[in-house]
Amino acid sequence: MIGTLDSSLEFYRQVLAVRGYRQEVLAADIANASTPGFKAVDVDFAQALENATGGAGTSGTDRPRTWLVEEPGQMQAGNTGGDASAAAAGAVKYQMGTQASLDGNSVDLDLEKTTAASNAVDYEAVASFTTLTLKMLSTAINGSAGQQGGS
Amino acid sequence: MSLLGVLNIAGSGMGAESQRLSAVASNIANANTSVGPGGEPYRAREVVFQAVAADGGGDDAASTGMAGVKVAAIVESDAPLKQVYDPGSSFADQNGYVKMPNVNNVDEMVNMLSAQQDYQADLEAFNVAKTLALRTLQI
Repeated sequence: MIGTLDSSLEFYRQVLAVRGYRQEVLAADIANASTPGFKAVDVDFAQALENATGGAGTSGTDRPRTWLVEEPGQMQAGNTGGDASAAAAGAVKYQMGTQASLDGNSVDLDLEKTTAASNAVDYEAVASFTTLTLKMLSTAINGSAGQQGGS
Repeated sequence: MSLLGVLNIAGSGMGAESQRLSAVASNIANANTSVGPGGEPYRAREVVFQAVAADGGGDDAASTGMAGVKVAAIVESDAPLKQVYDPGSSFADQNGYVKMPNVNNVDEMVNMLSAQQDYQADLEAFNVAKTLALRTLQI
């Protein structure tokens, strides 16, 4: 039972860690928006999550959605005690397609700001999912609030 | 925790941008300073930014993606000094020309706007990270 509790929350932990790491990478791009020769980087989110969850976490078409799997073993493969930030570090890639300025800097400030904003919204969404999952587990353990009040 | 790393990185960016703004303010204030401390006219200052690893280790900061920014040096512009014909000045040379600072006001205004924009972007990143960190505490 404790395995089920753990696996249902472990995935959110990994996603939050990867999202947080990506936010840090984007902040580094923004901070270096005027540094000569600095090349903009970003986290390949799909790959980072795949690294973090041991290959079971991407939204590929033929893959099971890990947060609905009934086999907890799928969540365990390769991610026990693993650090999601370390996995995300392996998925940091240079951004292609942005015009480098004369000093060799390839940070597009508008792009970075919109990407960071969108990543922040995704982070909050995952945080909400986590809260709701915890509430769901709490309901499963305690029964509904109405019954609890009546007893 | 990575979100607190954002605060450090954005903070380093804000510090560097405010130093750049200081350099601009110094240049504009001294745009007509024909005699500096050494007897020479003031020369425009420029800050040089450098990416540094946010965790303090590793030289190739860009490859890991974690890079704050710092002001590596403040250099003096080597653009030629402006010459103003003012034979009545006590600083005029034998041809009647006075050397004036090589500050270009247009450059300085552009630099100031750019620093302002970058500072605001850093501040935005800082605030977003703060919001996210507080939201995480509410899980």
